[in-house]
Amino acid sequence: MTISVGALGTIVVIATSVATLAPILLITLFVHDWKRGRLW
Amino acid sequence: MTITEDVAILPEGIAWGLLIAFSILWVFLGWFLGRKNKTAEDHMLAGRNVGLALATATAMATWVTANTTMTAPQLALQLGVWGMFGYSLGALGLILFAPLAKRIRELMPHGFTSGDFIRLRFGKFTWRVFLVVSLIYAFGWLVSLAMAGGVLINALSGIDYRVGMTIILAVCVLYTLLGGLRAVIGTDFVQTIIIILGVAFIAWLTIDKVGFEAIHFNLMEERPELLNLLFPAAIMFLFNNLLFGVGEIFHSNVWWSRAFAFGRSVGFRAYLLAGLLWLPIPIVAGFIALATPALGINVPVADMVGPLVAAEVLGLTGAIVVFIVVFAALASSLDSLLAATSDLVTRDIYRGHIRKSASQHEQFRATKVIVVLLGLLTWAAASYRGELPIIGSLAAVLYFTGAFVASAIWPVVAGLYWRRANPTGAALSMIAGTTLGLVSYFVIGFYVAALVGAAVSLAVLVLFTWIAPRDFDWRSLAEAEPRGTAGATGGVR
Repeated sequence: MTISVGALGTIVVIATSVATLAPILLITLFVHDWKRGRLW
Repeated sequence: MTITEDVAILPEGIAWGLLIAFSILWVFLGWFLGRKNKTAEDHMLAGRNVGLALATATAMATWVTANTTMTAPQLALQLGVWGMFGYSLGALGLILFAPLAKRIRELMPHGFTSGDFIRLRFGKFTWRVFLVVSLIYAFGWLVSLAMAGGVLINALSGIDYRVGMTIILAVCVLYTLLGGLRAVIGTDFVQTIIIILGVAFIAWLTIDKVGFEAIHFNLMEERPELLNLLFPAAIMFLFNNLLFGVGEIFHSNVWWSRAFAFGRSVGFRAYLLAGLLWLPIPIVAGFIALATPALGINVPVADMVGPLVAAEVLGLTGAIVVFIVVFAALASSLDSLLAATSDLVTRDIYRGHIRKSASQHEQFRATKVIVVLLGLLTWAAASYRGELPIIGSLAAVLYFTGAFVASAIWPVVAGLYWRRANPTGAALSMIAGTTLGLVSYFVIGFYVAALVGAAVSLAVLVLFTWIAPRDFDWRSLAEAEPRGTAGATGGVR
């Protein structure tokens, strides 16, 4: 049973999209914590 | 296998420039962030009030190691799509640790290490067994990371394996020494951003330049088993890796020290979010290796596949990006492991066995000496890559420790949630699980060691507790060491 090109492509594109958004989320959280004095 | 300078992808001058620039950056950040540390508690636990952003980033960065950025491609090349999916299941370790982190913080508001917990929960015999398991794992991971550093620099620039490995290790030792956990967490944030952006950038360009059709077609022609969803060894690997990841996180002081260091309401959310954000990264990194047949790349050693593909697709830019990404990934894990292991050795070996009345100041000094000693030991072991039977590829070193860590999963879980868990059963479950896990590693293969270790450990612990259940008062964990009196109480209980 072989994975199709469509399935492989979909999984990789979703994974890469989430990975691309992750740094934006982390920076947003950082700014949020920083403004409230909750970094440490 | 050593890459000579004339076949290296990155000019040696650029490689040296990047090494020096990032080394200075990490050491400066380490010094800057840790300059106000005054006590062992500051140094080891960063003030016990780390916020959500830094907590999430440090959990992610520590779990995104060189093993993720280099071993995930290697496993994709060896085990196909299940290799990368299986590696991504390592995220479950972080996700499942989220409730444990909350409970650890509640039960042990003044705890320092995972060893503290095992000692108070199960007594000295189990504690010593746990320390052996934990320290062997920590050392195996340290050596595998140092090796990854040497491999990366050699693969990309032709700089000698031992020279590159020595530089990366020395830099991490230096800034961990200067700043403790605060330096580790602060640098982890920057490193996480660099790593994820770099990996995603390479993946998008691989998709754009090679395309799924070409990758799929060439794999079907040359390595069809890599696309097979019923590849038996790969499916076994998937479950093995799941248990390996859970075992690594549940027992290791790297994760326990963070549970103690994160703010009271932060641990659960930070580990959960870190797991969800980490999940796609091995898929992205592993996918890059599947492009190898389409690109016609000859991979001399499996653990070099990631850097070689990136450099082939992106040329000099790819080589630079992957160099920075893996340097950041290596540093983010090496520093965490150095800090957490030195804490464990300081608290549980030095203070627990050698100098039971050690003051905060003495522990503070001991932690620093131990970081340096750990660095030297790691350097000595990693220098002999390929010259000893079990110190071979990155995956071989990493999965050798699978039997050890998986056998510690159930003692930790039972210790936190099962009041009647038998302490002798907990110790014997680790001994039996590790022993049979190692036997399976050598007899069957690396992909079953954790599976066997966890199964045997569970059976032994349940059997002993069923035969001789014990009672336990959870409140005794909170009495471990009132804040600010470390050393004043005259030793361990």
